[in-house]
Amino acid sequence: MTEEDAMFDPKLTKKKKKKKTGFDLDAAIADSGNVGMDASENSKAEKENMEVDPAPIEDDEALDLESFGKKKKKKKKFNLEELEAALPETKKEENNDNQVEENEVDEIDLNLDFTKEKKKKKKKKDLEELIEDRKENENNENEEPSQWVGSDRDYTYDELLARVFNIMKEKNPDMVAGKKQKFVMRPPQVVRIGTKKTSFSNFTEICKTLHRQPKHLLDFLLAELGTSGSVDGNSQLIIKGRFQQKQIENVLRRYIKEYVTCHTCRSPDTILQKDTRLFFLQCETCGSRCSVASIKSGFQAVTGKRAAIRAKNA
Amino acid sequence: MSIQNLNTFDPFADAIKGSDDDVQDGLVHIRIQQRNGRKTLTTVQGLSSEYDLKKIVRACKKEFACNGTVIEHPEYGEVLQLQGDQRENICQWLTKSGLAKPDQLKVHGF
Repeated sequence: MTEEDAMFDPKLTKKKKKKKTGFDLDAAIADSGNVGMDASENSKAEKENMEVDPAPIEDDEALDLESFGKKKKKKKKFNLEELEAALPETKKEENNDNQVEENEVDEIDLNLDFTKEKKKKKKKKDLEELIEDRKENENNENEEPSQWVGSDRDYTYDELLARVFNIMKEKNPDMVAGKKQKFVMRPPQVVRIGTKKTSFSNFTEICKTLHRQPKHLLDFLLAELGTSGSVDGNSQLIIKGRFQQKQIENVLRRYIKEYVTCHTCRSPDTILQKDTRLFFLQCETCGSRCSVASIKSGFQAVTGKRAAIRAKNA
Repeated sequence: MSIQNLNTFDPFADAIKGSDDDVQDGLVHIRIQQRNGRKTLTTVQGLSSEYDLKKIVRACKKEFACNGTVIEHPEYGEVLQLQGDQRENICQWLTKSGLAKPDQLKVHGF
Protein backbone atom coordinates (compact mmCIF):
# COMPACT_ATOMS: atom_id res chain seq x y z
CA MET A 1 0.00 0.00 0.00
CA THR A 2 2.83 2.33 0.86
CA GLU A 3 4.27 1.96 -2.58
CA GLU A 4 1.00 2.77 -4.14
CA ASP A 5 0.70 5.85 -2.05
CA ALA A 6 4.11 6.94 -3.14
CA MET A 7 3.06 6.38 -6.67
CA PHE A 8 0.03 8.46 -6.23
CA ASP A 9 1.74 11.43 -4.68
CA PRO A 10 3.73 12.93 -7.50
CA LYS A 11 0.87 12.51 -9.83
CA LEU A 12 -1.47 14.15 -7.46
CA THR A 13 0.56 17.31 -7.33
CA LYS A 14 1.12 17.24 -11.02
CA LYS A 15 -2.52 16.76 -11.67
CA LYS A 16 -3.49 19.60 -9.44
CA LYS A 17 -1.15 21.98 -11.07
CA LYS A 18 -2.32 21.14 -14.50
CA LYS A 19 -5.90 20.99 -13.52
CA LYS A 20 -5.93 24.37 -11.98
CA THR A 21 -4.91 25.93 -15.19
CA GLY A 22 -7.41 23.72 -16.97
CA PHE A 23 -10.17 24.86 -14.72
CA ASP A 24 -9.13 28.45 -14.84
CA LEU A 25 -10.66 28.72 -18.20
CA ASP A 26 -13.94 27.56 -16.83
CA ALA A 27 -13.64 29.86 -13.91
CA ALA A 28 -12.82 32.78 -16.12
CA ILE A 29 -15.74 32.08 -18.37
CA ALA A 30 -18.00 31.72 -15.41
CA ASP A 31 -16.73 34.96 -13.98
CA SER A 32 -17.66 36.88 -17.04
CA GLY A 33 -20.92 35.00 -17.39
CA ASN A 34 -23.10 33.62 -14.64
CA VAL A 35 -21.97 31.65 -11.62
CA GLY A 36 -24.52 28.87 -12.03
CA MET A 37 -22.79 27.72 -15.17
CA ASP A 38 -19.64 26.97 -13.31
CA ALA A 39 -21.10 24.29 -11.11
CA SER A 40 -22.57 22.46 -14.05
CA GLU A 41 -19.30 22.76 -15.88
CA ASN A 42 -17.46 21.25 -12.99
CA SER A 43 -19.78 18.33 -12.64
CA LYS A 44 -19.58 17.78 -16.35
CA ALA A 45 -15.84 17.63 -16.24
CA GLU A 46 -15.97 15.24 -13.37
CA LYS A 47 -18.31 12.99 -15.21
CA GLU A 48 -15.96 13.08 -18.10
CA ASN A 49 -13.23 11.85 -15.84
CA MET A 50 -15.29 8.98 -14.61
CA GLU A 51 -16.01 7.97 -18.12
CA VAL A 52 -12.50 8.14 -19.30
CA ASP A 53 -10.89 6.43 -16.36
CA PRO A 54 -11.18 2.76 -17.22
CA ALA A 55 -10.46 3.20 -20.88
CA PRO A 56 -9.35 0.10 -22.79
CA ILE A 57 -5.89 -0.37 -24.13
CA GLU A 58 -6.31 0.36 -27.79
CA ASP A 59 -8.06 3.53 -26.99
CA ASP A 60 -5.12 4.61 -24.88
CA GLU A 61 -2.63 4.05 -27.60
CA ALA A 62 -4.61 5.96 -30.07
CA LEU A 63 -5.05 8.84 -27.75
CA ASP A 64 -1.48 8.80 -26.62
CA LEU A 65 -0.45 9.78 -30.06
CA GLU A 66 -2.61 12.73 -29.68
CA SER A 67 -1.05 13.76 -26.43
CA PHE A 68 2.45 13.61 -27.85
CA GLY A 69 1.69 15.97 -30.59
CA LYS A 70 -0.34 18.22 -28.40
CA LYS A 71 2.22 19.31 -25.92
CA LYS A 72 3.43 22.35 -27.71
CA LYS A 73 0.02 23.65 -28.35
CA LYS A 74 -1.07 23.13 -24.81
CA LYS A 75 1.65 25.31 -23.44
CA LYS A 76 0.70 28.15 -25.65
CA LYS A 77 -2.88 27.83 -24.61
CA PHE A 78 -2.08 27.89 -20.95
CA ASN A 79 -0.19 31.10 -21.21
CA LEU A 80 -3.14 32.78 -22.76
CA GLU A 81 -5.41 31.41 -20.15
CA GLU A 82 -3.17 32.45 -17.35
CA LEU A 83 -3.23 35.96 -18.62
CA GLU A 84 -6.95 35.93 -18.77
CA ALA A 85 -7.59 34.15 -15.58
CA ALA A 86 -8.59 35.92 -12.44
CA LEU A 87 -9.26 32.93 -10.32
CA PRO A 88 -11.69 32.99 -7.43
CA GLU A 89 -10.44 31.15 -4.36
CA THR A 90 -13.59 29.34 -3.39
CA LYS A 91 -13.89 27.57 -6.67
CA LYS A 92 -10.42 26.19 -6.40
CA GLU A 93 -11.31 24.53 -3.17
CA GLU A 94 -14.27 22.92 -4.77
CA ASN A 95 -12.08 21.53 -7.43
CA ASN A 96 -9.74 20.11 -4.87
CA ASP A 97 -12.59 18.31 -3.22
CA ASN A 98 -13.56 16.78 -6.47
CA GLN A 99 -10.06 15.60 -7.02
CA VAL A 100 -9.87 13.88 -3.69
CA GLU A 101 -13.02 12.00 -4.50
CA GLU A 102 -11.67 10.92 -7.79
CA ASN A 103 -8.50 9.63 -6.32
CA GLU A 104 -10.38 7.56 -3.86
CA VAL A 105 -12.33 6.00 -6.64
CA ASP A 106 -9.12 5.19 -8.40
CA GLU A 107 -7.70 3.46 -5.41
CA ILE A 108 -10.71 1.30 -4.94
CA ASP A 109 -10.49 0.29 -8.53
CA LEU A 110 -6.93 -0.76 -8.09
CA ASN A 111 -7.72 -2.81 -5.06
CA LEU A 112 -10.56 -4.70 -6.61
CA ASP A 113 -9.24 -5.33 -10.00
CA PHE A 114 -6.40 -7.77 -9.99
CA THR A 115 -6.80 -8.78 -13.58
CA LYS A 116 -5.32 -5.60 -14.89
CA GLU A 117 -3.20 -4.55 -11.99
CA LYS A 118 0.10 -4.62 -13.78
CA LYS A 119 -0.96 -2.94 -16.91
CA LYS A 120 -2.82 -0.33 -15.04
CA LYS A 121 0.11 0.88 -13.05
CA LYS A 122 2.08 1.50 -16.16
CA LYS A 123 -0.87 3.02 -17.83
CA LYS A 124 -1.73 5.33 -15.02
CA LYS A 125 0.33 8.18 -16.32
CA ASP A 126 -1.09 7.83 -19.75
CA LEU A 127 -4.54 7.90 -18.30
CA GLU A 128 -3.77 11.08 -16.47
CA GLU A 129 -2.68 12.64 -19.69
CA LEU A 130 -5.67 11.27 -21.40
CA ILE A 131 -7.99 12.88 -18.94
CA GLU A 132 -6.23 16.14 -19.32
CA ASP A 133 -6.46 15.85 -23.02
CA ARG A 134 -10.10 15.09 -23.05
CA LYS A 135 -10.73 18.06 -20.92
CA GLU A 136 -8.64 20.19 -23.15
CA ASN A 137 -10.69 19.01 -26.05
CA GLU A 138 -13.84 19.90 -24.24
CA ASN A 139 -12.60 23.35 -23.56
CA ASN A 140 -11.24 23.83 -27.00
CA GLU A 141 -14.29 22.58 -28.76
CA ASN A 142 -15.79 25.99 -29.02
CA GLU A 143 -12.61 27.68 -30.14
CA GLU A 144 -11.20 24.98 -32.34
CA PRO A 145 -13.10 25.59 -35.58
CA SER A 146 -12.43 29.29 -35.37
CA GLN A 147 -8.72 28.59 -35.48
CA TRP A 148 -8.80 27.79 -39.17
CA VAL A 149 -12.19 29.03 -40.30
CA GLY A 150 -11.02 32.55 -40.86
CA SER A 151 -7.48 31.87 -41.99
CA ASP A 152 -6.22 30.29 -45.20
CA ARG A 153 -3.61 28.05 -43.56
CA ASP A 154 -3.45 24.25 -43.56
CA TYR A 155 -4.85 22.33 -40.65
CA THR A 156 -2.31 20.83 -38.36
CA TYR A 157 -2.45 17.15 -37.63
CA ASP A 158 -3.35 17.72 -34.01
CA GLU A 159 -6.29 19.88 -34.83
CA LEU A 160 -7.71 17.34 -37.22
CA LEU A 161 -7.15 14.51 -34.80
CA ALA A 162 -8.87 16.37 -32.01
CA ARG A 163 -11.72 17.17 -34.36
CA VAL A 164 -12.19 13.58 -35.40
CA PHE A 165 -12.25 12.39 -31.81
CA ASN A 166 -14.78 15.01 -30.89
CA ILE A 167 -17.01 14.01 -33.74
CA MET A 168 -16.68 10.36 -32.79
CA LYS A 169 -17.62 11.13 -29.26
CA GLU A 170 -20.62 13.15 -30.31
CA LYS A 171 -21.94 10.64 -32.82
CA ASN A 172 -21.76 7.60 -30.59
CA PRO A 173 -21.20 8.26 -26.94
CA ASP A 174 -21.79 4.54 -26.29
CA MET A 175 -18.51 3.68 -27.89
CA VAL A 176 -16.53 5.33 -25.14
CA ALA A 177 -18.86 4.20 -22.42
CA GLY A 178 -19.48 0.69 -23.73
CA LYS A 179 -15.89 -0.20 -24.40
CA LYS A 180 -14.70 0.53 -20.94
CA GLN A 181 -16.33 -2.59 -19.57
CA LYS A 182 -13.79 -3.77 -17.13
CA PHE A 183 -13.33 -7.21 -15.86
CA VAL A 184 -13.37 -6.85 -12.11
CA MET A 185 -13.13 -9.91 -9.96
CA ARG A 186 -12.13 -10.90 -6.50
CA PRO A 187 -8.60 -12.12 -5.97
CA PRO A 188 -8.18 -15.83 -5.30
CA GLN A 189 -7.81 -16.77 -1.67
CA VAL A 190 -4.87 -19.07 -1.40
CA VAL A 191 -3.84 -20.61 1.89
CA ARG A 192 -1.22 -23.23 2.63
CA ILE A 193 -2.39 -26.40 4.32
CA GLY A 194 0.51 -27.92 6.17
CA THR A 195 3.70 -27.93 4.17
CA LYS A 196 2.78 -29.77 1.03
CA LYS A 197 -0.72 -28.71 0.08
CA THR A 198 -2.36 -25.45 -0.91
CA SER A 199 -6.00 -24.55 -0.59
CA PHE A 200 -7.78 -22.29 -3.05
CA SER A 201 -10.83 -21.44 -0.96
CA ASN A 202 -12.95 -19.28 -3.28
CA PHE A 203 -12.50 -21.56 -6.27
CA THR A 204 -16.18 -22.17 -6.96
CA GLU A 205 -16.96 -18.51 -6.44
CA ILE A 206 -14.43 -17.56 -9.09
CA CYS A 207 -15.84 -20.20 -11.43
CA LYS A 208 -19.23 -18.59 -10.99
CA THR A 209 -17.97 -15.09 -11.74
CA LEU A 210 -16.24 -16.39 -14.85
CA HIS A 211 -19.28 -18.45 -15.89
CA ARG A 212 -17.21 -21.54 -16.43
CA GLN A 213 -17.56 -25.13 -15.32
CA PRO A 214 -15.45 -25.79 -12.23
CA LYS A 215 -14.16 -28.91 -13.93
CA HIS A 216 -12.80 -26.95 -16.85
CA LEU A 217 -10.96 -24.47 -14.66
CA LEU A 218 -9.75 -27.31 -12.46
CA ASP A 219 -8.34 -29.15 -15.46
CA PHE A 220 -6.58 -26.04 -16.63
CA LEU A 221 -5.11 -25.18 -13.25
CA LEU A 222 -3.82 -28.66 -12.63
CA ALA A 223 -2.39 -28.99 -16.12
CA GLU A 224 -0.65 -25.62 -15.90
CA LEU A 225 0.74 -26.16 -12.44
CA GLY A 226 1.74 -29.71 -13.26
CA THR A 227 0.29 -31.18 -10.11
CA SER A 228 -2.74 -33.02 -8.87
CA GLY A 229 -5.60 -31.79 -6.76
CA SER A 230 -9.30 -32.01 -6.09
CA VAL A 231 -12.30 -30.10 -4.82
CA ASP A 232 -13.16 -31.01 -1.25
CA GLY A 233 -16.42 -30.92 0.70
CA ASN A 234 -16.29 -27.21 1.47
CA SER A 235 -16.07 -26.53 -2.28
CA GLN A 236 -12.48 -25.40 -1.96
CA LEU A 237 -9.75 -26.65 -4.22
CA ILE A 238 -6.85 -28.52 -2.65
CA ILE A 239 -3.72 -28.49 -4.78
CA LYS A 240 -0.66 -30.55 -4.11
CA GLY A 241 2.43 -28.40 -3.84
CA ARG A 242 3.25 -24.96 -2.50
CA PHE A 243 1.70 -22.08 -4.34
CA GLN A 244 1.28 -18.44 -3.52
CA GLN A 245 -1.61 -16.22 -4.34
CA LYS A 246 0.44 -14.34 -6.90
CA GLN A 247 1.24 -17.50 -8.79
CA ILE A 248 -2.36 -18.66 -8.86
CA GLU A 249 -3.38 -15.19 -9.99
CA ASN A 250 -0.96 -15.46 -12.87
CA VAL A 251 -2.42 -18.75 -14.02
CA LEU A 252 -5.95 -17.42 -13.62
CA ARG A 253 -5.06 -14.43 -15.73
CA ARG A 254 -3.85 -16.73 -18.45
CA TYR A 255 -7.04 -18.77 -18.20
CA ILE A 256 -9.17 -15.66 -18.55
CA LYS A 257 -7.19 -14.50 -21.53
CA GLU A 258 -7.53 -17.81 -23.32
CA TYR A 259 -10.91 -19.17 -22.26
CA VAL A 260 -13.02 -16.26 -21.02
CA THR A 261 -12.40 -13.08 -22.96
CA CYS A 262 -13.36 -13.01 -26.61
CA HIS A 263 -10.31 -13.18 -28.85
CA THR A 264 -11.78 -10.63 -31.22
CA CYS A 265 -13.36 -7.96 -29.05
CA ARG A 266 -12.04 -8.94 -25.60
CA SER A 267 -15.47 -8.89 -24.08
CA PRO A 268 -15.85 -11.28 -21.17
CA ASP A 269 -19.41 -12.00 -22.17
CA THR A 270 -18.79 -15.38 -23.75
CA ILE A 271 -19.98 -18.96 -23.72
CA LEU A 272 -17.71 -21.98 -23.89
CA GLN A 273 -19.23 -24.86 -25.83
CA LYS A 274 -17.96 -28.30 -26.59
CA ASP A 275 -18.44 -29.31 -30.19
CA THR A 276 -17.02 -32.53 -31.61
CA ARG A 277 -14.26 -32.83 -29.06
CA LEU A 278 -13.20 -29.22 -29.50
CA PHE A 279 -14.02 -26.28 -27.29
CA PHE A 280 -15.45 -23.23 -28.99
CA LEU A 281 -15.72 -19.77 -27.53
CA GLN A 282 -18.87 -17.97 -28.60
CA CYS A 283 -18.95 -14.25 -27.95
CA GLU A 284 -22.27 -12.75 -26.95
CA THR A 285 -21.20 -9.22 -27.77
CA CYS A 286 -19.70 -9.42 -31.23
CA GLY A 287 -20.95 -12.87 -32.21
CA SER A 288 -17.58 -14.25 -33.15
CA ARG A 289 -16.90 -17.91 -32.61
CA CYS A 290 -13.47 -19.43 -32.44
CA SER A 291 -11.89 -22.59 -31.19
CA VAL A 292 -9.66 -22.49 -28.15
CA ALA A 293 -6.69 -24.62 -27.30
CA SER A 294 -7.47 -27.90 -25.64
CA ILE A 295 -6.09 -28.45 -22.17
CA LYS A 296 -3.19 -30.84 -22.17
CA SER A 297 -0.94 -31.53 -19.29
CA GLY A 298 1.78 -32.79 -21.62
CA PHE A 299 4.87 -34.55 -20.43
CA GLN A 300 5.03 -35.15 -16.72
CA ALA A 301 8.35 -36.04 -15.23
CA VAL A 302 8.61 -38.53 -12.44
CA THR A 303 8.93 -36.58 -9.21
CA GLY A 304 7.74 -39.09 -6.63
CA LYS A 305 9.47 -42.16 -5.43
CA ARG A 306 10.05 -44.59 -8.25
CA ALA A 307 9.78 -47.54 -5.92
CA ALA A 308 6.27 -46.48 -4.93
CA ILE A 309 5.20 -46.21 -8.55
CA ARG A 310 6.63 -49.60 -9.32
CA ALA A 311 4.81 -51.07 -6.36
CA LYS A 312 1.55 -49.54 -7.53
CA ASN A 313 1.86 -50.85 -11.07
CA ALA A 314 2.87 -54.33 -10.12
CA MET B 1 3.33 -40.46 -70.90
CA SER B 2 4.52 -37.02 -70.14
CA ILE B 3 7.65 -35.58 -71.58
CA GLN B 4 10.19 -34.95 -68.87
CA ASN B 5 11.59 -31.81 -70.44
CA LEU B 6 8.24 -30.10 -70.58
CA ASN B 7 7.47 -30.70 -66.95
CA THR B 8 7.15 -27.57 -64.92
CA PHE B 9 9.99 -27.75 -62.54
CA ASP B 10 11.04 -25.01 -60.24
CA PRO B 11 14.81 -25.05 -60.02
CA PHE B 12 14.71 -22.72 -57.03
CA ALA B 13 12.39 -24.83 -54.93
CA ASP B 14 15.26 -26.07 -52.85
CA ALA B 15 16.72 -22.64 -52.46
CA ILE B 16 13.48 -21.28 -51.04
CA LYS B 17 13.23 -24.11 -48.63
CA GLY B 18 16.84 -23.77 -47.63
CA SER B 19 16.79 -20.04 -47.02
CA ASP B 20 14.70 -20.21 -43.90
CA ASP B 21 16.00 -23.43 -42.47
CA ASP B 22 13.16 -23.68 -40.05
CA VAL B 23 13.34 -27.13 -38.65
CA GLN B 24 11.33 -26.19 -35.61
CA ASP B 25 7.62 -26.33 -36.23
CA GLY B 26 4.96 -26.38 -33.59
CA LEU B 27 5.13 -25.10 -30.09
CA VAL B 28 7.82 -25.78 -27.57
CA HIS B 29 6.20 -26.31 -24.20
CA ILE B 30 8.27 -25.26 -21.24
CA ARG B 31 6.86 -26.51 -17.98
CA ILE B 32 7.79 -26.47 -14.37
CA GLN B 33 7.11 -29.13 -11.80
CA GLN B 34 7.49 -28.95 -8.08
CA ARG B 35 9.49 -31.56 -6.28
CA ASN B 36 9.98 -32.07 -2.59
CA GLY B 37 10.89 -28.98 -0.64
CA ARG B 38 11.62 -25.97 -2.78
CA LYS B 39 13.16 -28.00 -5.55
CA THR B 40 11.77 -27.75 -9.03
CA LEU B 41 12.17 -29.38 -12.40
CA THR B 42 11.91 -27.79 -15.84
CA THR B 43 10.78 -29.82 -18.83
CA VAL B 44 11.07 -28.77 -22.45
CA GLN B 45 8.75 -30.65 -24.73
CA GLY B 46 8.25 -30.36 -28.46
CA LEU B 47 11.71 -29.53 -29.75
CA SER B 48 12.11 -30.75 -33.30
CA SER B 49 13.50 -34.25 -33.68
CA GLU B 50 15.95 -32.88 -36.22
CA TYR B 51 17.90 -31.33 -33.41
CA ASP B 52 20.39 -33.33 -31.48
CA LEU B 53 18.85 -33.14 -28.04
CA LYS B 54 21.90 -34.63 -26.40
CA LYS B 55 24.04 -31.81 -27.63
CA ILE B 56 21.45 -29.27 -26.57
CA VAL B 57 21.26 -30.68 -23.09
CA ARG B 58 25.01 -30.69 -22.81
CA ALA B 59 25.15 -27.01 -23.74
CA CYS B 60 22.29 -26.13 -21.41
CA LYS B 61 23.86 -27.91 -18.47
CA LYS B 62 27.00 -25.93 -18.95
CA GLU B 63 25.21 -22.64 -19.53
CA PHE B 64 22.77 -22.77 -16.63
CA ALA B 65 25.05 -24.71 -14.29
CA CYS B 66 22.47 -27.36 -13.62
CA ASN B 67 22.06 -31.02 -14.32
CA GLY B 68 19.77 -32.28 -17.01
CA THR B 69 18.83 -35.23 -19.11
CA VAL B 70 16.98 -36.28 -22.24
CA ILE B 71 13.99 -38.51 -21.68
CA GLU B 72 12.43 -40.67 -24.34
CA HIS B 73 8.65 -40.65 -24.20
CA PRO B 74 6.44 -42.81 -26.40
CA GLU B 75 3.92 -40.04 -27.02
CA TYR B 76 5.84 -36.79 -26.74
CA GLY B 77 9.16 -37.90 -28.23
CA GLU B 78 12.34 -36.68 -26.68
CA VAL B 79 11.88 -34.36 -23.76
CA LEU B 80 14.54 -32.21 -22.17
CA GLN B 81 14.59 -32.20 -18.41
CA LEU B 82 16.58 -29.71 -16.37
CA GLN B 83 16.99 -29.28 -12.66
CA GLY B 84 15.66 -26.13 -11.07
CA ASP B 85 13.52 -23.34 -12.46
CA GLN B 86 15.20 -22.72 -15.80
CA ARG B 87 12.18 -21.36 -17.65
CA GLU B 88 13.60 -17.88 -18.20
CA ASN B 89 17.03 -19.23 -19.01
CA ILE B 90 15.87 -21.79 -21.52
CA CYS B 91 13.60 -19.28 -23.26
CA GLN B 92 16.41 -16.82 -23.70
CA TRP B 93 18.87 -19.49 -24.73
CA LEU B 94 16.58 -21.08 -27.32
CA THR B 95 15.86 -17.74 -28.97
CA LYS B 96 19.45 -16.59 -28.78
CA SER B 97 20.76 -19.76 -30.39
CA GLY B 98 18.02 -19.57 -33.03
CA LEU B 99 16.60 -22.99 -32.27
CA ALA B 100 13.11 -21.60 -31.83
CA LYS B 101 11.38 -18.31 -32.32
CA PRO B 102 9.92 -16.46 -29.34
CA ASP B 103 6.39 -17.03 -30.58
CA GLN B 104 6.99 -20.77 -30.73
CA LEU B 105 7.78 -20.91 -27.03
CA LYS B 106 4.94 -21.54 -24.63
CA VAL B 107 5.75 -21.24 -20.98
CA HIS B 108 3.45 -23.02 -18.56
CA GLY B 109 3.27 -22.93 -14.82
CA PHE B 110 2.89 -20.10 -12.39
